Amino acid sequence: MFKNLTIGQHYPVESPVHDLDPRLKIMMTIIFIVSIFFIKNFTGFLIVIGFLTLSISLSKVPVKFVIRGLRPILLIIIITFLINLLMTPGRTIFKIGFINVTEEGLKQAGFMAVRLTLLIMGTSLLTLTTSPIILTDGIESLLSPFKRFGLPAHELAMMMTIALRFIPTLMEETEKIMKAQKSRGADFESGNIVSRAKNLVPLLVPLFISAFRRADELAMAMEARCYRGGDQRTRMRQMEIKNIDYIAAFVFLVYLTAIILFRIW
Amino acid sequence: MSEYIIKIENVKFKYDKDSDYAVNGVSLNIKEGEFTAIIGHNGSGKSTLAKLINSLLLPTEGKVYVKGMDTSDDSKLWDIRQTAGMVFQNPDNQLVATIVEEDIAFGPENQGIEPSEIRRRVDTALNAVGMYEYRKRPPHLLSGGQKQRIAIAGILALNSDCIILDEPTAMLDPSGRKEVMETLKKLNSQGKTILLITHYMDEAVLADRVVVMDKGTIKLDGTPKEVFKNIDKIKGFGLDVPQVTELTQELIKEGLDLPSDIIDVKELVDILCQ
Repeated sequence: MFKNLTIGQHYPVESPVHDLDPRLKIMMTIIFIVSIFFIKNFTGFLIVIGFLTLSISLSKVPVKFVIRGLRPILLIIIITFLINLLMTPGRTIFKIGFINVTEEGLKQAGFMAVRLTLLIMGTSLLTLTTSPIILTDGIESLLSPFKRFGLPAHELAMMMTIALRFIPTLMEETEKIMKAQKSRGADFESGNIVSRAKNLVPLLVPLFISAFRRADELAMAMEARCYRGGDQRTRMRQMEIKNIDYIAAFVFLVYLTAIILFRIW
Repeated sequence: MSEYIIKIENVKFKYDKDSDYAVNGVSLNIKEGEFTAIIGHNGSGKSTLAKLINSLLLPTEGKVYVKGMDTSDDSKLWDIRQTAGMVFQNPDNQLVATIVEEDIAFGPENQGIEPSEIRRRVDTALNAVGMYEYRKRPPHLLSGGQKQRIAIAGILALNSDCIILDEPTAMLDPSGRKEVMETLKKLNSQGKTILLITHYMDEAVLADRVVVMDKGTIKLDGTPKEVFKNIDKIKGFGLDVPQVTELTQELIKEGLDLPSDIIDVKELVDILCQ
């Protein structure tokens, strides 16, 4: 059941957005997040929505995939909405018992919900259009200037690569151990939370032991292939800034200028 | 001197101070281009010997030379590992990257080679093991035999002269084993020195030379025919002999006039049908 698992939510199609340099995409996403907090009213969001619509349609990722990214944080959005709705003082619209909904509250709640939704949609576009491995390369390259301050950029990227490589392997192994333990009468499905957590012990112990053994063997295999850290290491795949990156950067600057102008004005 | 790619001189090795010697006084020379199989049961020291050649372990006593380089010489470490590449038993635990071609590039990337040269080496290595069509696949979706071929390609991309394989087929099904053995035979015919550590006698038979190890020492050394003649000795080390050799010996005992060094089914059939 885990055989065809895809890591992250990468949606592999060919599009101008997929082709962009990962470093540019990461930086644009970070600035995009900041830009959303510059906006103080609903009309400002129109600029963001316009930019997002353009990016999503160019990326050829179906809108429902982008919206699906919202599902894990739906609860947070709802809670934020409710807290803002009920806690903001102002002119009362209606009142049932202790529940007091104000006009300002309604506005504020809607505003926060839209802000969060746009935030998540924008960031999930990054992971949807960039494969994890390219994303890792991008992060390594962006972090490498901080090496001189002692930031282990290469090591972080290597850890991410190995994690990505071993997630499916360990998933398969988990499934195997589960079956083995079930066949000996282990019960992973019934009981309350406490007893269920306890029942996981016979799954976790062998899984951890095997993971440590794997780590040991992998380390030896890496050494045998001349791995000696990030120094003097080269990469087969080179990142280069192409014309499309300049165009994207230009479009993004236009968007950013619009946001800032709107704020000042 | 130079015709031996690997020279092992009276090497002893133990993992702990108090434990017994895992390798106890082994001397072995391996010629360039030779296909050698090392057989022995679990704990006979054969895997330890492989790690000693690759400088993953250093001998407690004695010396190991790879292409004339002393494995205990720290400055030669990376040259040694490049010359004698090593493939391990578990295919899952030696692939590093999430894409096949990225994994093969891992070795040359570590060596600090130019990107265009890495690309060329990766393509050559993929073609050599017949996995070029799979270059964009994630390794966990490949079969065991394919993963092991990728691991071999990863060593080829290092430009190794010698490939040491530590029970590469132990975790594979018969068709995966066949794939790997065919790949090794092909590489050997192209001039690579192969040192295959194995449990399977059918694989040892394919080598030019068979070395039998037991309790950390070399017991028998010779061509497959010379070695497998000694059925009783080999069985005494807890090993099997190829079925056809055993059958031949049984037939000889029953009074048939056959040569005692038959290791190939076809050979026996030909003689019996004369």
